[in-house]
Amino acid sequence: MSTDLVLDGLVRRFGGAAVLDGVDLTVPAGGVVALLGPSGTGKSTVLRLVAGLDTPDAGRVRAGGRDLTGLAPERRGTALVGQRPRLFPHLSVLDNVAFPLAVAGRRRRAARAEAAGHLDLVGLADLAGRRPATLSGGQEQRVALARALAAAPAVLLLDEPFSALDPGVREGMHRLLADLRGAVSPTVLLVTHDRQEAAAVADTVAVLLDGRIAQAAPAGELHTRPASLAVSRFLGGVNEVPGAVERGAHVSALGRLALPCASPDGPGVLVVRQEAVALTGPADGDATGTVTRVTPRGARWRVEVTTPAGPLSAETGPGRTPAPGDAVGLVLPPDQRWVVPQATG
Amino acid sequence: MTRAAPAWRRAAVAPRVALALAWLAVPLVPLLLWAAADRWPFPAVLPTDWGLTGWRQAAGQGAGGALGRSVLLGLAVAALATPAGAMAGRALALHRVPARRLVEALLLAPVAVPPFAVVMGLTTLTLRAGVPGTVALVLVLSVSALPYTVFVMRSAYAGYDVGFEEEARTLGAGPRAVLLRVHLPLAAPALATAAFLAFLVGWSDYVVTLVVGGGQLVTLPMLVGALSSATGNDAVVAAVSLTAVVPPLLLLAATALLARRGAR
Ligand SMILES: Nc1ncnc2c1ncn2[C@@H]1O[C@H](COP(=O)(O)OP(=O)(O)O)[C@@H](O)[C@H]1O
Ligand SMILES: [Mg+2]
Repeated sequence: MSTDLVLDGLVRRFGGAAVLDGVDLTVPAGGVVALLGPSGTGKSTVLRLVAGLDTPDAGRVRAGGRDLTGLAPERRGTALVGQRPRLFPHLSVLDNVAFPLAVAGRRRRAARAEAAGHLDLVGLADLAGRRPATLSGGQEQRVALARALAAAPAVLLLDEPFSALDPGVREGMHRLLADLRGAVSPTVLLVTHDRQEAAAVADTVAVLLDGRIAQAAPAGELHTRPASLAVSRFLGGVNEVPGAVERGAHVSALGRLALPCASPDGPGVLVVRQEAVALTGPADGDATGTVTRVTPRGARWRVEVTTPAGPLSAETGPGRTPAPGDAVGLVLPPDQRWVVPQATG
Repeated sequence: MTRAAPAWRRAAVAPRVALALAWLAVPLVPLLLWAAADRWPFPAVLPTDWGLTGWRQAAGQGAGGALGRSVLLGLAVAALATPAGAMAGRALALHRVPARRLVEALLLAPVAVPPFAVVMGLTTLTLRAGVPGTVALVLVLSVSALPYTVFVMRSAYAGYDVGFEEEARTLGAGPRAVLLRVHLPLAAPALATAAFLAFLVGWSDYVVTLVVGGGQLVTLPMLVGALSSATGNDAVVAAVSLTAVVPPLLLLAATALLARRGAR
C-alpha cells in the first residue's frame, strides 16, 4: 500500500510573494519524513499542495510514479490529519472511522467491521459508539488517525497533529505512530515546528527555511553537521567561531583547531553544539575565558563564557556548575567540530 | 456538549419561561373560547352556550381546502427560498463576492419595501406575459422570503468550518458525497430554521395572494379575511384562525428539536 512521495520544485505564491520557492523533497515508501520549520514558512501549504486542496504555481507532486499534480483531492490517496481533528460531529466515532470506507462504496456492515479494526489499532475500540464531542483531545486525534488509516492512503499527511496536546499525551502519540509503522508501514510526511518531535518520530528531518528545503538529513546529522548557519541557528545552535579553513584545520582567534573531515580551504564558520562542549580548568581546553552567565535549562545548565573568539556556550548536566566570574576552559571535541560557509548577505 | 445549568440558574429560568409562554398564550385565550362557543352575547364573561358549530361552519366554508392550499404555498416558498438563501449565504460568508455590499443590499431589500408596492406593477406584467397567477405568487413570495433565508444561512456559514469538507475530500469523498454526507448534515439545523421562516412567509401572506393570485387561490388568511369582514361570524373566524395557528407551532417545535440534535 505504501508508495514513495516526490515533490519536485513546488512553487506557491500568495499575492506576489513566493511562500514556497522551489521545494524538492522525497519521502521513500514506508518512510517518515518530518518537515520542520518556523511557523509561517509554508509547511501547511506544502501539505495542502500534496493533498490537492491547493494548486502549485509551478512544480509537480508524484506518488509511486503517478503524477498527482492535476488530480482532485479525493483521487490522490493522500489522507490528511490536521492540527484540529475535525471529526464529523454528526457521526459516531465508529462511523467517523467508517467514513472513507462508506464513500468508497463499501456496504455499511462491512465498513463498520473494518472501521472497528482500525479503531482497535489506535487502542480505542471501546469508544466506538461515542459522539466526538465527548472525547478528550488525545482521543480525538487517535480517532482522526484511525479514520485517515481507514482510507488506506498511499501517503499519510500529518499537519502538526500533536501540537495541541499535553506533553505526556504527545509522547503517547509518538509511541502510537511508531507502533502503527510496525503494523501498516504507511508513507508519512509529518509537519511540525518542534525539533524534539521531528527527531522522535522521523527517519529524515527536512528543514524548510525561506521557501526551500535548506537541508534534509537524519536528526542527529542535522544537529552536528548543519548545511548552513541558518540551519544551525534554527536548530538552536549558538556556538559560532568565524575564521578560515587551512589544510584540514580551522584557524581563528582560538588558534588552529584540527577538523575531523576534509573541508575546502577558505573562510568558514566553526560550529560546535553547546551540548557537545565540555568544561574544564582554565589551564586546559581549546578555549579559555570568563563565565558571564549561568541559566537553568530544565535538568541542565547553560554556561556562557566570553572567549577571545566571542561568546561560547556549554550545556552541562546536573552537578557542579561554575559561577559567573569564574575562569574556565572549554573543550571542543574534535569529532564534533563542523565548518559551515559564512552567512551571505 | 453543554453542561447542565446549576440549580439556582434553572430555578430562575422556570418563571421566565412561564412568562414567555403566557405572552404567547394570552391572545389565544379568547380565540379558544370563541371557537368553543355557540353563543356568547355581549356582557357575558364566558360563552353562554358551548358547542362546535363554529368548526362545522368553517368546514362548510372550505377551511379544509384552504388549509391544504396554505400548506402547499408555504412548502413551495420554502422549497425555493431555502436553497437559494443557502447558496447566497454561503457565497457571502465564505467566498469573495464582487460588489458584496450591493449584493447584500439587493438581497435584503424586499424586507424594506412593502410587498404590495412591488406587487401592483408585477401583476400587470405577469398577466401580460401569460404567467399563471399561482406561479407568479410563489415567485413573488419566494423573493420576499429570501432576505430571511439569506440572513439565517449567512450567519450559519460564517461559523462554518470548510475544513470539514476538505478533510472529507482527502478521505476520498467526491463533491456529491461531501454535499450529502458532510455539508448538508452540518448545515441542517440552520436550513431547518431558514425553511421555517420561508414557510411562514407563504403561510401568513394576505396582500400578495389577494393581488397576484387575483382571489382565485383561497388560502387560510384569505378565508379569515373574507369571513371576518362579515358580522356575526366570530365562532367561525375563531375556528379558522386556530387552524392557522397550529401548523406553525408544530413546525417550530420540530425545528427546535432538529436544532438541538445538531448542537449535541
Ligand atoms: N490561502 C492563503 N491566502 C493567502 N496567504 C496564505 C494562504 N495560505 C497561507 N498563506 C500564507 O502563507 C504563509 C505560510 O502559511 P502556512 O503554510 O500556513 O505556514 P506554516 O504551516 O508553516 O505555519 C503565511 O504567511 C500565510 O499567511
Ligand atoms: Mg501550519
